Amino acid sequence: MVKNEATHVYLNGRDIGIVEDPAKFVSEIRNARRTGVISGEVNVAHYGKQHYININSDRGRVRKPYVIIENGKSKLTQEIIEKLKNKEINFNYLFRNGIVEYLDAEEEENALVAFEEKDITPKHTHVEVDIASIFGFTVSTSPYPEHNSIARQAMLANFIKQSQGLYAINFNQRFDSRGYLLFYPQVPIVNTVSYRKANIQKHPSGQNLVVALSTYYGYNMQDAVVLNRASVERGVGRSLFYKTYTDEERRYPGGQRDRLKIPPATAEGYMGEHFYSKLSDDGIIEPEMDVEEGDVLIGKVSPPRFLEESMGPSGIEEKVRDDSTVLKTGETGVVDSVMVTESPGATKLVKIRIRSLRVPENGDKFASRHGQKGVTSLIVPPEDMPFTDSGIIPDLLLNPHSVPSRMTFGHLLEELAGKAGSVKGRMIDGTAFAEDGLDRMDAYGKMLEESGFDKYGEEEMYDGITGMKFKARIFTGVAYYNRLYHMVSNKMQVRSRGKVQILTHQPTEGKARQGALRFGEMERDTLIGYGASLLLKERLLDQSDKTNVLVCKQCGNIGYYDHVKRVNVCPIDKSSDFVEVEMSYAFKVLLDEIKSLHIMPRMKVNE
Amino acid sequence: MAKEEKNKFRVQYGEAVGTVAAQSLGEPGTQMILRSFHYAGVESTISTSGLPRIVELVDAKKKPTTPITYIYLDKGIAKSFDKADEMVRKISEVTMNSVVRRVDENFAKGKIRLILSSQEVEAARITTKGVASKISKDFGFETKADGRTIEISVGTRDPKKVRAERVRIMNSIISGIEGAGKVMIRQDEQTKEFYLIASGSDIESIIDIPGVDSTRIITNDVFAVYRLFGVEAARNVIADELAKTLNEQKIGVNRRHLALIADAMTARGNIKGVGRHGLSGEKGSVLARAAYEETVKHLVHAAVYGEIDHMNGVTENVLVGKQVPVGTGTVKLAIKKEDLSKIGKKK
Repeated sequence: MVKNEATHVYLNGRDIGIVEDPAKFVSEIRNARRTGVISGEVNVAHYGKQHYININSDRGRVRKPYVIIENGKSKLTQEIIEKLKNKEINFNYLFRNGIVEYLDAEEEENALVAFEEKDITPKHTHVEVDIASIFGFTVSTSPYPEHNSIARQAMLANFIKQSQGLYAINFNQRFDSRGYLLFYPQVPIVNTVSYRKANIQKHPSGQNLVVALSTYYGYNMQDAVVLNRASVERGVGRSLFYKTYTDEERRYPGGQRDRLKIPPATAEGYMGEHFYSKLSDDGIIEPEMDVEEGDVLIGKVSPPRFLEESMGPSGIEEKVRDDSTVLKTGETGVVDSVMVTESPGATKLVKIRIRSLRVPENGDKFASRHGQKGVTSLIVPPEDMPFTDSGIIPDLLLNPHSVPSRMTFGHLLEELAGKAGSVKGRMIDGTAFAEDGLDRMDAYGKMLEESGFDKYGEEEMYDGITGMKFKARIFTGVAYYNRLYHMVSNKMQVRSRGKVQILTHQPTEGKARQGALRFGEMERDTLIGYGASLLLKERLLDQSDKTNVLVCKQCGNIGYYDHVKRVNVCPIDKSSDFVEVEMSYAFKVLLDEIKSLHIMPRMKVNE
Repeated sequence: MAKEEKNKFRVQYGEAVGTVAAQSLGEPGTQMILRSFHYAGVESTISTSGLPRIVELVDAKKKPTTPITYIYLDKGIAKSFDKADEMVRKISEVTMNSVVRRVDENFAKGKIRLILSSQEVEAARITTKGVASKISKDFGFETKADGRTIEISVGTRDPKKVRAERVRIMNSIISGIEGAGKVMIRQDEQTKEFYLIASGSDIESIIDIPGVDSTRIITNDVFAVYRLFGVEAARNVIADELAKTLNEQKIGVNRRHLALIADAMTARGNIKGVGRHGLSGEKGSVLARAAYEETVKHLVHAAVYGEIDHMNGVTENVLVGKQVPVGTGTVKLAIKKEDLSKIGKKK
């Protein structure tokens, strides 16, 4: 390789030239940016090994502020910090005066960033504004991430996004296809600087629950969660589920169009009078109407799919097809709001929002802010729940086995902090790295002791069923829990017999189609391995796509029964000597498809 | 009593042994780690192991990625390290490439100069002079050995020919047996007997060397064993290698399942893999073949040649919806009760 290989310079992805001294070139641009000669939005990345420089000034780059280090010293001096405290200057001052700069993902690769001022060595180029800023949005709004295992912290970041809460203040005016609204959202007692700065406390997404780390007769094994019925009835996790159904009057080539109205009894696919009974005269359901599965929400008639049919037998009345919108299976609720408007294509557009109350039930999912998720397994009457000396009954019982192996110490610390905060009646700050963990524990312990509680958060407890005192003391605290949007009522489905596919006559797949569960190849192999030949046939044929087919004895082709002449007919050799054979309909389709390729499959059948 | 109990566990008529064997090897296969942890010095360090090795065996790959041959010595010399060491020198394959540190060509004089690496020469227990005379003998060139340098007069000044000779010389073998690979000495901890491990699998040549115990030589190269000893031996190697590989990762699969797979692979007198080009591709039934990969190919073949499917296998019967001839599906009613009474009347 040539020693002084020319370095290409790319401006927003376009090659604009060559420089000979890339290091000098890059540092000049950076100096110009810091001194305000060029815009602070410019970022430069130098790829030394690949010999090119990327200069970016375009939109869409995520950037993050860093404090600049010059001559081994942070430019954010004590003097400037004092000025900031006295509000003589603000953050923009730091940016304009080259104390802080924003780096994008590419330029970050050229920077060596120290976590804190005491870590700075001559090699460092920048120092973090605050060490907690190494985290993204979701993690920095949750408490004590530094005390959790990284695997759990990654799960937490997903759960926060799935939590139900006050997702928008104007939820009442919106027609979201799905919306989840928590009844009594609370600001977490333990929150962080980022949480407060991001203003999430104005639309929180969880509740502070009294959590005891206790088993309950095996009901909270394997991440199951036991809830207090009194708490649920007082609003823990109670939420609304909104779902929007949409339909419009489409226009078709040839001047035909859909019509929103109650379909006439003559319409093709008419379901029967009582299904349309909840519609008003315009064919649209009224607000505040109770609806159940199968109820028609929007009555609509469409022109038939094929042209000839539209004439009708007499030619007077136009033949139509029922194309109404029906509430899906397994859903119930109340019509919350109806909107009639016009689509961009100038057709009539109707949106109907269904609301249904979702009280927590067995099978609903809850999670704390430490990746500790669980599914409700039992909702216990308050009198059967364990209670403390002072008569406190926990809202939720978390199995103590879920903590040690997952290494979510942050959960325990949050419970302790939450308890201390509740007792003292104030918020607790749980920002990452803000304090030493042990110091925090001591501080919360002290607050608890001042109010007469155990400093480690443990409580003497009694079994609600027997009234006996537990031998062990039970760790009890207040933790912030989210109700996640995975709820059984939206997921469960049953089928014993039902719809089949047209092509194969096999059962349909998926919840939306009332489908069955697939008995797949590997399941098939288990029955073969066991030798259960007849059970296999029952699963794969009798309970699936069994058909009876007439096979011609002479030519081995499939024949049919002529209902007029009342004889069996073979389309090939016109004989009527047949055997009735039981086979899979899918196999019959295969034979038909092979025939369509001009190949003649023949079946030799024994009597 | 014990005998009755034992009989319960024997394979019964109609039992789907093949499916069970496939499941028994397939399920632990999903748990195998692709790159397993090796202990230093153990031979597994040099051989492929885990899932890649299983795939290699089951697919009947012509040449294993890492062939290994275990060479046991005749009883008389097996306990002597010196004798074993001598055997290593006889067998271990040393190529010119591995000992030469540097090659210079002089096209003007038609000469090639080789500089040998002292380290490699000593390790291979050869001398510069020995190498030089070997070249003279094999190629008929005039050679001059000096220190670690050998000068070869190729006898031509045509650069193309000089270069061609260089390649020939560099690829030649100085000592040992071609295809034997590097050979190492190991000692059996129990019998204190020395044996050799070669990283090649040319057992056909190795077995004839005096001092090698021809009754105990064994390799992991299935096809080498097949060529020398026949299918029966190859079958055993397949089953043994499968068992050994699974054992390394502490996966317990009953030997009978592995033996059945090996049997199926070798049942036709040669070695066939289990995939599309082997067992599955040679099934008797058109429908069964079409159901597994390359559907169109088999249907077209059946159409062109007018194949008949006798519906004797499992897959094709599942496909059409017939009772599968396995387990409870193997037994049929020999005679109906009514017919039985008819026979009685005749007599």
